[in-house]
Amino acid sequence: MNVLSVQSVSVSYGGVHALSEVSLDVGQGQLVGLIGPNGAGKTTFVDAVTGLVTARGRVALDGQDLTGLPPHARARRGLARTFQSSELFEDLTVTENLQITADRPSWWRALGETLGRRVSPDSAATQALSALGLEDLAHASAHQLSQGQRKLVGVARALAARPRVVCLDEPAAGLDTAESAELGRRLRAIADDGTSLLLIDHDMSLVMGICDHVVVLEFGKVIASGPPAQVRTDPAVITAYLGASAAQPTAASQQHGGTPSAEGPSKVATTTPEPS
Amino acid sequence: MSTPVLEVSGLTAGYDGAPVVRDVDLTVAAGQVVALLGANGAGKTTTLKAISALLRPMAGTVTFAGTPLDRIPAATRARLGIAHVPEGRGIFSGLTVAEHLRLGHRGERLDEAAAYRYFPVLSRLKDRRAGLLSGGEQQMLAMGRALARRPKLLLLDELSLGLAPIIVEELLPVVRRYADDSGCGVLLVEQHVGLALEVADHGYVLSHGEITTHAAARELDADQARIVAGYLGEHPV
Amino acid sequence: MDQILLFAVLGLGQGALIAGIALGVVVTYRGSGIINLATGAVAMASAYIFWALTSGFFGFTLPTVAALIGALVAALAIGVLIEVAVFRPLRTVSPLAKLAASLGILLTLQATVLLVFGTQPQQAPSVLPGETVTVLGITTPADRFLLTGLVIAIALALGALYRWSRFGLATRAASENEQAALLAGLSPNGISLANTLLAALVAGLLGVLAAPIVQVDSITLPLQVVPALAAALFAGFTSLWIACTAGILIGVLQSIVYFLSTQSWFPTDNGNAMPGLQQLLVFVLMVVALYVRGAGLPRRGEAVEQRLPAVPLPERLLRPALLAAVVAAAALVVLPFDFRQALTNSMIGMVIVLSYVVITGYVGQISVMQLAISGTAGFALSHVAIQLRVPFPFDALGATLLATLLGVAAGISALRVRGVSLAVVTLAAALAMEQALFGNTSFGGTAGVSVPPPRLFGVNLGPGADFRGLDGNEPSPMFGFLVLAVTVVLGLYVAHLRRTGLGRRMLAVRSNERAAAAAGVDVRAVKIAAFAISSFIASVAGTLYGYNFGSVSAARFTALAALGLIGFAYIGGITMVSGAVIAGLMSTEALLPHALDKWFGIKGTWALLFGGVSLIVTLIANPDGIAGAGHRRRAAKRAARAAARVSEPDGPHPEGEHHAPAALDTTEVAS
Repeated sequence: MNVLSVQSVSVSYGGVHALSEVSLDVGQGQLVGLIGPNGAGKTTFVDAVTGLVTARGRVALDGQDLTGLPPHARARRGLARTFQSSELFEDLTVTENLQITADRPSWWRALGETLGRRVSPDSAATQALSALGLEDLAHASAHQLSQGQRKLVGVARALAARPRVVCLDEPAAGLDTAESAELGRRLRAIADDGTSLLLIDHDMSLVMGICDHVVVLEFGKVIASGPPAQVRTDPAVITAYLGASAAQPTAASQQHGGTPSAEGPSKVATTTPEPS
Repeated sequence: MSTPVLEVSGLTAGYDGAPVVRDVDLTVAAGQVVALLGANGAGKTTTLKAISALLRPMAGTVTFAGTPLDRIPAATRARLGIAHVPEGRGIFSGLTVAEHLRLGHRGERLDEAAAYRYFPVLSRLKDRRAGLLSGGEQQMLAMGRALARRPKLLLLDELSLGLAPIIVEELLPVVRRYADDSGCGVLLVEQHVGLALEVADHGYVLSHGEITTHAAARELDADQARIVAGYLGEHPV
Repeated sequence: MDQILLFAVLGLGQGALIAGIALGVVVTYRGSGIINLATGAVAMASAYIFWALTSGFFGFTLPTVAALIGALVAALAIGVLIEVAVFRPLRTVSPLAKLAASLGILLTLQATVLLVFGTQPQQAPSVLPGETVTVLGITTPADRFLLTGLVIAIALALGALYRWSRFGLATRAASENEQAALLAGLSPNGISLANTLLAALVAGLLGVLAAPIVQVDSITLPLQVVPALAAALFAGFTSLWIACTAGILIGVLQSIVYFLSTQSWFPTDNGNAMPGLQQLLVFVLMVVALYVRGAGLPRRGEAVEQRLPAVPLPERLLRPALLAAVVAAAALVVLPFDFRQALTNSMIGMVIVLSYVVITGYVGQISVMQLAISGTAGFALSHVAIQLRVPFPFDALGATLLATLLGVAAGISALRVRGVSLAVVTLAAALAMEQALFGNTSFGGTAGVSVPPPRLFGVNLGPGADFRGLDGNEPSPMFGFLVLAVTVVLGLYVAHLRRTGLGRRMLAVRSNERAAAAAGVDVRAVKIAAFAISSFIASVAGTLYGYNFGSVSAARFTALAALGLIGFAYIGGITMVSGAVIAGLMSTEALLPHALDKWFGIKGTWALLFGGVSLIVTLIANPDGIAGAGHRRRAAKRAARAAARVSEPDGPHPEGEHHAPAALDTTEVAS
């Protein structure tokens, strides 16, 4: 059975369709890549799935319908995510950041803590730290971290919730090639341990290298999905990514201007399948 | 050789008393495109910020066209002819494209025509508010505005951030062309090493806050090992 | 019907004043991102100067026009001072800190006016002609129409300036993205200065022209900023036209409400019309504005990352708490009666500031209402104890519970409102409660309602208890002990809260609500919990106030007093219990002001001035407050000692000093 099952999710902002009828499944221990040109709606998709924007359609986790639940309730049922800008809690230490997701808050527990019961940090927090090799940073304050460290702590924070599935929004943006490859190895290991992952990233070698399955979005619609090797040769994907413009960049820039449209960020847009 | 547009020597800068870059020396000549490369967190953005005075350096000097800038604040440096396109583009989402190209400081008239010449896309978007432009169009607007200011030195920070490589492939040659046409010096921070070195004359590699290697762009491009060494923080060969 | 029309026209005067201040608020916000609570105070200052110049207060008398020019020059001078001494140094701090700074300006201006011109309200002469005109069959003073026309003309002129001039374009650009404006060669300082001066000029002009309609004193004009803020909320702090229109309409509506309250069918309170309905109207309008416009304010791209004051993790609690308790207990016995009273007042002040540590320090929301909740608890205590004859401690518990419920209800209804908007709307709520609830003699009243002393098992624990300390005078140290016990328990609780899961979730919410929700934090539940805890603490303080003086009076729980307390909390350190202790010592009639008065003859107004100035200085030089600075010093010392102990550094680690366990030290509850 699929861990995360998203059916026909649509989001529109003031008449503009950011997402239309997007469906996607993530199986147990699967690492699914979600790629697409800028403005294709990848982050909007994650926001819709995690409940941060209102969307039509159905989202289910382990067969349980999450539709209509607020974001925190979805998170507690095992749907974790990271943010593109790795939004850490600045005033907390790295460990405390992880404890936020690891804790299972309850009135009973809050009362116990109020009366002075010491609660030792959840083992999920320490495990998540070591899964990403961040043990040394456990006591650092979030605002002291470098951008790359912040990204990794963001991933660790999502893992500390012992989630069923994690949506990773560009975890490798801002990492260099070596760091990115290292992150890829760790993500693969996490998936192999049974946590399902949905990975959004621009780094094609990362996505194509570690994902079991890749879904391609363009203008809020799924244009292709399948194993990396298949997606890479899919004509629709190649057209979407390369267009007619790849060969003549300057001509493209003029052509680009010829089709201004409110919903059309980067009509020509995008990434070569493999930069290297 | 004539006076370089930008001469940075012994620059140390950072945040909250902790230096991020140490003892950086670099030079940009007129009409030259210089790439500043390095791993994330190496201090590229910090270096640019110290040059445009968004950040006060802890030590070192920044000399612009032969004049030491010392404590001159950011707005004044901008008026002297330094145009900095920051990470995140630095545009005003509520202003239209045309208003962006009208917005000068006291006594300044921007060269709108230049912006439209280098980025023809913009001329069709004149009355659109910047917030409604696509990421690539916003970046073109940011660069177009910078060019319209007729700068002597152009600082470009991560043009590629959040943009697909193909858009960067469109933008970078414009930078090259502008430098050749106008004699403006360009200091370019870029993640995409290959793309950057294609248009650059010279490259510097920052690693852990120090310049570990610098050479002609062609040489660097050929000798990727040196860049990799710089990225991994090993000592240069 | 004619009467309603007449009052509507009469309300135009007040409306023009509100609109003028609202224009000042919007212009300042666009220029510098500061919601300037002191805009009304600038109008007050220039009205006073105009009065002084025409009445010979300075030893000479100027003709009206010259005095008007003099008052405007003074308004501009205040504008320059505000800009250079406050706004400019605070360019890069968080919006809430900027709001607090404008509060500092308000307190400073008020204190200065009181010290220079005295407490006596003054009647300024009218600049505008005193003739009457007859419109639609009713005869009204012409100045109302002139004022309204003038304020509309000002709004139109400002609008044209922003739309078409280079200055206007630059202002719009800088208000959107300050760093990009800097890089474009625009000078945010110049832009901000020009806008601040424009705002001061408009507020000053309206202050002088409308002064004959309202009265020139140290409270009325400064508080006109509250209805003006309602108008500015309708305008989204952006649209001059809406701000102007809404301001005028609010004035008209207030006047009509006043007219209605004179009618025989209107509900009365002991024979008088129900008080505070105009303030209630403003509060309701603000709620409507927030509903219509959404709770967010337009964002500005600020040049530097904004850090909120740090919230260090307390390690040792019990030892410093016990030490402080022993010292305070001994002082209660040893000190002479007046200092004993001042110490008790200080501790009650500490408790009320503790409620701000939770809601503002931990969750990052300024709720000006908390003192009004204290007041509600105090008045409720009187009713529960006297009318229902409930014995101690159940009367206090009942009153506390009642007021806490009110606080929670207010919190739940304000869940979607956050940050600066929350501060503004709770300021209006505090004002409405002050006038409508505490001013209502059935519930409160300025004369005060009495509270019986607390008795437990026949033992009097109140200030009149038999044990009278060393000097044998009232108040009894017994009551001091009771307050001390409550203070220590609540202080320990608040400090401990930071270490619990709930405390962590509060800080997560403060730092980023979206990320917190995605991390499984129920943001609403955490906020409700914070409102509940904070309101509970505030309510306890309210009942202690009641026992302390044997009566409760509306004068102690005014909106202005609440603003003052928030100021003290910032100075002490709003994120730490030790900060609350310091703030308590500085609060009204507490040890510090008492000692200053007794030993140096420095009166309360000087303390107000000192408070206003030190709030500004604190925000500029030391945003973590006195307690935060102390904590940083100790942490640095400890880190230095630790570094000295480690003889061999473990390799060249570029961020070595960050990894030092600096975050783990801390002694909270230091006194």
